[in-house]
Amino acid sequence: MTDTAEFDFESQALSYMDQLYAAALRMTRNGADAEDLVQETFAKAFAAQDKFTPGTNLKAWLYRIQTNAFINTYRKKQREPKRSDADSVEDWQLAAAAEHTSSGLASAEDAALDSLGDDEVKRALSELSEDFRMAVYLSDVEGFAYKEIAEIMDTPVGTVMSRLHRGRKLLREKLRDYAAERGLYERTPVKKDKDGGACRA
Amino acid sequence: MHAVPKPECEEALDRLFEYIDHELPEDEIHRIGEHLKECPPCEAEHKINEKIKRLVNKTGHDVAPEDLRARILTTIRATRPDGAS
Repeated sequence: MTDTAEFDFESQALSYMDQLYAAALRMTRNGADAEDLVQETFAKAFAAQDKFTPGTNLKAWLYRIQTNAFINTYRKKQREPKRSDADSVEDWQLAAAAEHTSSGLASAEDAALDSLGDDEVKRALSELSEDFRMAVYLSDVEGFAYKEIAEIMDTPVGTVMSRLHRGRKLLREKLRDYAAERGLYERTPVKKDKDGGACRA
Repeated sequence: MHAVPKPECEEALDRLFEYIDHELPEDEIHRIGEHLKECPPCEAEHKINEKIKRLVNKTGHDVAPEDLRARILTTIRATRPDGAS
């Protein structure tokens, strides 16, 4: 019985290798470090496999191990200043109302997005700070629920939501910039009070 | 036209990411869905954010290099308790 359980663990854990590698690339932004990180993740996961409860979420468990390994080993190396976690919920909620743009501007932006390539989206994502980048990645690419992202990143759900809001807002701004650089989208100065909030009843 | 969004707009925009991420209870999904149908500016925001989510989703599918797979198999075989060392 133990043998079967071990066999399942191995094959199931290994089936997530590509996904863990893709996530590691986003974390480390470097192929060699990504490979080392995934190798470390599997070494740790196999060493701790009796702590895994079969029937619970193995994928999230592996991501959690990888995230911890990244924080402990690679982040120090990368010299990325640790952002303070002062992102409060009220902040993005207040900001949300300002996003009500005029529909002409919105459809131009929508159309411009269709012309952006994968490389530009990847670049925009890579320019986000680590916490924002990972929250967006775990949600948009891996499809993890907020609760799972909270477990993986070891943070409250409210912080996950805040990171997603801010990360996506920044990502959108970067994509707008790229589109503007290529002449796909014309940036107009924001006049929040006049143009913002035009909602037809 | 009014400068300040209506309360329904505020709810829809505040909850937009949760709506897109399927994190809301049924009644709220329904309420926001109905609002998006009748409010073009909110629907425009919804479409843009949903599109960005799809664009990000498309970028994520890298494949691990073959030699990494081999290295990992070597590592875990070495740490196996049944001693395949």
